[in-house]
Amino acid sequence: MTNYFWILIAAGVLCAACSAGEKPAAPAAKPATTDSAAKPAAAPAAAQTAAPATAAATASGATHYQQAANGGSLTFTFMQADAVNKGSFGKFLTDMIYDEKNLAGSRLTVTVQIGSLTTQDKDRDDSIKSADLLDAAKFPTARFTATSLARNAGGAIEAVGKLQLHGVTRDLRVPLQIRSTAGGIEISGQTSIKRLDYGVGQGDLKSTEWVGDEVKLQFKVPLSRTG
Amino acid sequence: MTFRNTTRSWGSLSKALHWIIVVLIINQWIIAERAAQLPPKSLAVLKALWWHKSFGITILVLAVIRLAWRWMNPVPDLTAETRPWERVLAKISHVLLYALIFAMPLSGWAMSSAHNYSVSWFGLFQLPNFVSPDHELAERLEDLHGTLFIALVVVAALQIAGALKHHFMDRNDVLRRMLPFGRPGKDA
Repeated sequence: MTNYFWILIAAGVLCAACSAGEKPAAPAAKPATTDSAAKPAAAPAAAQTAAPATAAATASGATHYQQAANGGSLTFTFMQADAVNKGSFGKFLTDMIYDEKNLAGSRLTVTVQIGSLTTQDKDRDDSIKSADLLDAAKFPTARFTATSLARNAGGAIEAVGKLQLHGVTRDLRVPLQIRSTAGGIEISGQTSIKRLDYGVGQGDLKSTEWVGDEVKLQFKVPLSRTG
Repeated sequence: MTFRNTTRSWGSLSKALHWIIVVLIINQWIIAERAAQLPPKSLAVLKALWWHKSFGITILVLAVIRLAWRWMNPVPDLTAETRPWERVLAKISHVLLYALIFAMPLSGWAMSSAHNYSVSWFGLFQLPNFVSPDHELAERLEDLHGTLFIALVVVAALQIAGALKHHFMDRNDVLRRMLPFGRPGKDA
């Protein structure tokens, strides 16, 4: 059955949630580091890694936020057989320390469970999670870690950090729209990455003819003030 | 041969649409059979289905043109000696064939949509998804797509049998007048 269709890859997957702008925020230029090097730092859950920073940051007026219980959305779109296709991640965690008066001291961490992705077609999902693409068994999470926020040339806020995906870590700047809500803030935006930069696509999937290299990410996540 | 139909013969556009659709349907069947032999979930299947879907949408568009053209033109009469039951059978098989050349591509398009695989027409543009993603529905539509094909084969066989009967037993020009370069005989 579905065999047929097939496809895919979304390679995309990936990513951390982030995002922003339109096209590449990512400098892509930097050499990737290998997973073994990156892993230790990434291992703790997002909330845990952020905790120590919180104490320091709150002292200076920053506020610590965590993803609200009702979630938010993290979706990705990719080209497959000349058509735009969509998927989403059901499980991801966002942790942020934000001080609008001190962007450089703000932080953002998004940890995504690769196994939670769905494109609403099981065969395609299985193939995206397989070793030829995201290899979820070996790399169960992807993480975006921004160690500061900054304003870009246009004055918009960007999260400046690194995306670790499929065992590869690369610099990535993700435009963020931040708005206040009753219990905290909501961050949203979009960005795009290239799956092959992260080694996502083995064998025939190294070709981008049937599964595009670019994967766009869109996110909208409510964050609650903690403490 | 004229461009438009007359009450005695099919015009060139009607004939062209008829035969192009026939060739495309046979091509669709060949692609689908080949895709079924390929490794499941492979890129090769994706490519084969890219062609299958593109041709399928082409058939749908041609079917729309064909039906519209039929309404705008006279339909050649069956010969005077055609018996009433033959007329009824011919009418039913024509209606079924038209219904099937619409239903086949529409069910395929819906099936793709239900799988959340959008359809591209030869890479030139993308069609909107026809139904929301739904695994159960997708499976049912796949079955339907296959069943409709069997129905198409049966009805087409009936048509061919009827055309051959007209040609060889009744010796009239019902078959000849739909052939690409055929001309109505003097007995028409």
